[in-house]
Amino acid sequence: MSIATAQQLDTADTVTLLTEHGGDLREDDLFSPYLADIDDAELCRIYEDLVVVRRIDAEATALQRQGELALWAPLLGQEAAQVGSARGIRPGDFVFGSYREHAVAYLRGVDPTLILRFWRGSTHSGWNPYDINMTTPAIVIGSQMLQAVGYAMGIMRDAKRDDSIHDIAVTYFGDGATSQGGFSEALGFAASSHAPVVFFCQNNQYAISAPVGIQTSVPIVQRASGFGMRGIRVDGNDVLAVLAVTRYAAERARSGDGPTLIEAVTYRMGPHTTSDDPTRYRDADELALWKTRDPIDRLLRTLEYRGLATDEMLAAVDAKADAVAAEVRKGCLETVEPRPESIFDHVYSEPHSLIEEERAEFLDYHRGGAE
Amino acid sequence: MGEAGSTEFRLPDLGEGLADAEIVRWMVAPGDSVTLNQIICEVETAKALVELPSPVVGVVAKLRVSEGETVTVGTAIITFEGADVPAMVEMPPETPDASIDARTEAPDDEGRSSMLVGYGPGDGDSRTGARKRRHAQRQRAVPVEQPAVSATVAAKPPVRRLAKERGLELSNLTGTGANGVITRADVEAASAPTATSSTPSRDGHDETRVPISGLRKRTAAAMVSSAFTAPHVTEFVTVDVTPTVELVEKLRAHPAFSGRKVTPLLIVSKALLFALERHPELGSRWDEAAQEIVTRREVNLGIAVATPRGLMVPNVKDAAGLTLVELAEALSGLTERARDGKTELSEFSGGTITITNIGGFGIDTGTPIINPGEAGILCVGAIRRQPWEYRDEIALRSVLTLSLSFDHRLVDGFEGSGFLADVARVLADPTELIALG
Amino acid sequence: MAKALNAGLRRSLDDDDRVMLMGEDIGRLGGVFRVTDQLQAEFGADRVVDTPLAESGIIGTAIGLAMRGYRPVCEIQFDGFIYPAFDQIVSQLAKIHTRTEGAVTVPLTIRVPYGGGIGAVEHHSESPEAYFAHTAGLRVVTCSNPDDAFGMIQQAIRSDDPVLFFEPKRRYWDRADVDLDAAPTVGLYDARVVIAGSDLTVVAYGPMVATALAAAKEAASEGTSIEVIDLRSLSPIDFDTIDRSVAKTGRLVVVHEASVFLGIGAEIAARISERCFFQLEAPVLRVGGYATPYPPSKVEQYYLPDVDRVLDAIDRSLAVE
Repeated sequence: MSIATAQQLDTADTVTLLTEHGGDLREDDLFSPYLADIDDAELCRIYEDLVVVRRIDAEATALQRQGELALWAPLLGQEAAQVGSARGIRPGDFVFGSYREHAVAYLRGVDPTLILRFWRGSTHSGWNPYDINMTTPAIVIGSQMLQAVGYAMGIMRDAKRDDSIHDIAVTYFGDGATSQGGFSEALGFAASSHAPVVFFCQNNQYAISAPVGIQTSVPIVQRASGFGMRGIRVDGNDVLAVLAVTRYAAERARSGDGPTLIEAVTYRMGPHTTSDDPTRYRDADELALWKTRDPIDRLLRTLEYRGLATDEMLAAVDAKADAVAAEVRKGCLETVEPRPESIFDHVYSEPHSLIEEERAEFLDYHRGGAE
Repeated sequence: MGEAGSTEFRLPDLGEGLADAEIVRWMVAPGDSVTLNQIICEVETAKALVELPSPVVGVVAKLRVSEGETVTVGTAIITFEGADVPAMVEMPPETPDASIDARTEAPDDEGRSSMLVGYGPGDGDSRTGARKRRHAQRQRAVPVEQPAVSATVAAKPPVRRLAKERGLELSNLTGTGANGVITRADVEAASAPTATSSTPSRDGHDETRVPISGLRKRTAAAMVSSAFTAPHVTEFVTVDVTPTVELVEKLRAHPAFSGRKVTPLLIVSKALLFALERHPELGSRWDEAAQEIVTRREVNLGIAVATPRGLMVPNVKDAAGLTLVELAEALSGLTERARDGKTELSEFSGGTITITNIGGFGIDTGTPIINPGEAGILCVGAIRRQPWEYRDEIALRSVLTLSLSFDHRLVDGFEGSGFLADVARVLADPTELIALG
Repeated sequence: MAKALNAGLRRSLDDDDRVMLMGEDIGRLGGVFRVTDQLQAEFGADRVVDTPLAESGIIGTAIGLAMRGYRPVCEIQFDGFIYPAFDQIVSQLAKIHTRTEGAVTVPLTIRVPYGGGIGAVEHHSESPEAYFAHTAGLRVVTCSNPDDAFGMIQQAIRSDDPVLFFEPKRRYWDRADVDLDAAPTVGLYDARVVIAGSDLTVVAYGPMVATALAAAKEAASEGTSIEVIDLRSLSPIDFDTIDRSVAKTGRLVVVHEASVFLGIGAEIAARISERCFFQLEAPVLRVGGYATPYPPSKVEQYYLPDVDRVLDAIDRSLAVE
């Protein structure tokens, strides 16, 4: 089988602001202005986010290896794509994620312990979506994008009645999801209704074992033009470029210019999940190449160039990461498992005769009542 | 996790789709201090090399498995001492008091084998232990019931239950239904005191055998069912009905009734309706399934009619709402249609109370069986001219004996007697109908 | 009935400005069955939305709208076109409330014209209700007459749970006087005894209620008294009403257009056998479609239950003495 190679899929312009090998930021007429407020202190905070989310990810992976989680989908390598985009939107915006956006959830304020509850098998969700304006994991690939468009259609209607409303919807998905019909339908509905939605694709090069060339023979960003939509390809390991591009797309949506498709080109450095063995389908050379593009190292080089990477700063960041990791571990081990009969809770929001009947039978059976 | 101070670490499910792994290399040795998540060993499944991080801070006490050894998931591979495992405790389920007891025989996770996307399937089917508890309780509470019938006997569930209630073994009965199915009638016949067995003739010559017709069968079933479900009480009263006989004569001559059949039964019917209004219990119905007593406003008056095909009990719908003329017409229409076999099936259903007239056979009285689903039946005997006390003297009067059977579940003696007395009172003096009706 | 639905939708749009209609051709055209006739003109294109032609897209975006606080009413143009939306309905819509431990409610109504007998081409005559009744988290109801159509559509839209609302399209043109001022007297999930009887119970829903009533009338002329129950709700099912009836009659026939195998009738037969074991005078019988795809319309009358097939089942039940 002949599938598109990385080189063939790398033909579109890609926005990059962090230089590859150190030095200060590249200037870009369109996107640099979106970083005007990012001062040195803010750069350090972004660095801290990257390190902390990687640490949470590592702790969760370890907890899975220790038998505390059923599964974990590591985000290793995708920190910049997630931190940059999450920082590019507002608390009032609503995120429709896939299942690997642990960093996005963390930055939107969810207690990371709650993120783990899902992967432990203690719940199907983890948090109240309205608490942080972000949905809980969507496991069926490509199911969440249409919902984001619908939510954005709702915002449009609200904004007609209240001109102070400038919320947008943001949806995350991977390269594999672009093959799903829901992706094309979502782009079609969004473009035709002009909905304020940002489509954020983390192209991490693999859908489990399938390289992106199996999904597409052109760069994913090109899908946008067919729908009459703005598409931007961004270096997904460049946290500042991702931040700028996301702010740009969000601003377009907020100001009524409609949806944007962002393709953030990144790399899943770990397995698809803790149950996966990527050595079966990709070369060590490829991983080694992407390690040279590590998103944390990329930003660290700029911090070093600016003299911000002091020992104190780096130590403080590590201490913060360790503290969060300890919190995550403690929370995971202290998980209060659901009551067995809670399976009957929340199937419906209004009384349902069958559920009531079965709940009563269930309780009677387990409490040892004889008929 | 082992006793205080020492902690075992068991090979976890690594989610690689395999149930065991080889310990390839230990990265720690006894006496080493380890930190949390420090890599302690490499293990290899058939699929991949995986590093195992330490779940504790502590000192390695013992390596329980040698390098190169393959062990199954759940095997203790290392022991730590002085381990600091602050939160490694079994947490009870949320609000255990309100919840079911999930800790008794909790499903055993250790026997799981790994799978692609989770902890993997358990060793066998997990068991919550609830069944055992319930079984024990049931053993204490009720004796185990023996199956009532052998599985080869064919009978539908309500018939099976009926047989059980009557203490009959279905396997001892002969089914008369299609393919030998035991029917309700079979059970009822078997349990009827006078019909516990058939009566074969000694020589088989002096008897005739006629197949039991559908109507006969239904009548039999209805009567048996009524006799054995409704406790019957029968009361009698003999009354001078001369004024009623005179009234019938007058009505026959009245232009309004010209061409219509006027009989004492008409006045008896009217008297019954009069009495029923005062004693509605006689018009009620026992709903066993719903455990309710049902009383309907409408009175559908049943008349037992002897027809060439057998006994039929069609009823006059909403009889209480009819004028005397209409009632006369309805009664004659009903009996004619019954005798001609033209009764509509709807006329058989929904009866409230029944009159059976045996006077035509020259009989004085009887103990009638209630039509199933009703509360009472009034039996009318022959009207005879006979000596009777009349105005303190002996005179020849028209005298009638009435009997009333009622379902004692629904009707007490007080009400039943009152009802029968009211019927008698009207027949003794139909003026009551006008005075009080 | 189409007009009654139209009136019910208008009433819902009037009562609650969060209610909106979405679907293919429902705006300017007024829907292929004219159920939404004139509603876009009255309520505007933001509330009566002509969507792109993609069922999954309609339901997926409607879920998003519901999460934003709207109460979308989606039209699936024909029964056989609902399957592209299956994932959004079964894996998303049905499960979001549970998944989020009650934090998110999805008050979405999906209107589905369904059933056969209209001489249509393929995919226009199906009865897919059992797929959805089988799915926890969804409610499934169906109307059989204009009066119910008017009341039930409003009740469905008011429900905070997702409701699949099946409309028997061969009864769209049935006429009846509907009191537009009357509040519904029966709960959305309650079955209704349409005619009382004593010898046998027939349970039907949607398009088959009229067929069951015709069969009952025919049976009455033969002296058999049939009780007909309009199920109305397929999830949950009002088993109490069926129980009460079967306890009285001892015999039950269930009628639906959908294939009998693993259909709604199978569940009713199983439950009633459990609940009324000792009252049943005959096995519960089912009358419905065969285990074949819906046939071409020239032979659909052999697939669909009709009065004679219902009467035949009644005869077979009554033959069990």
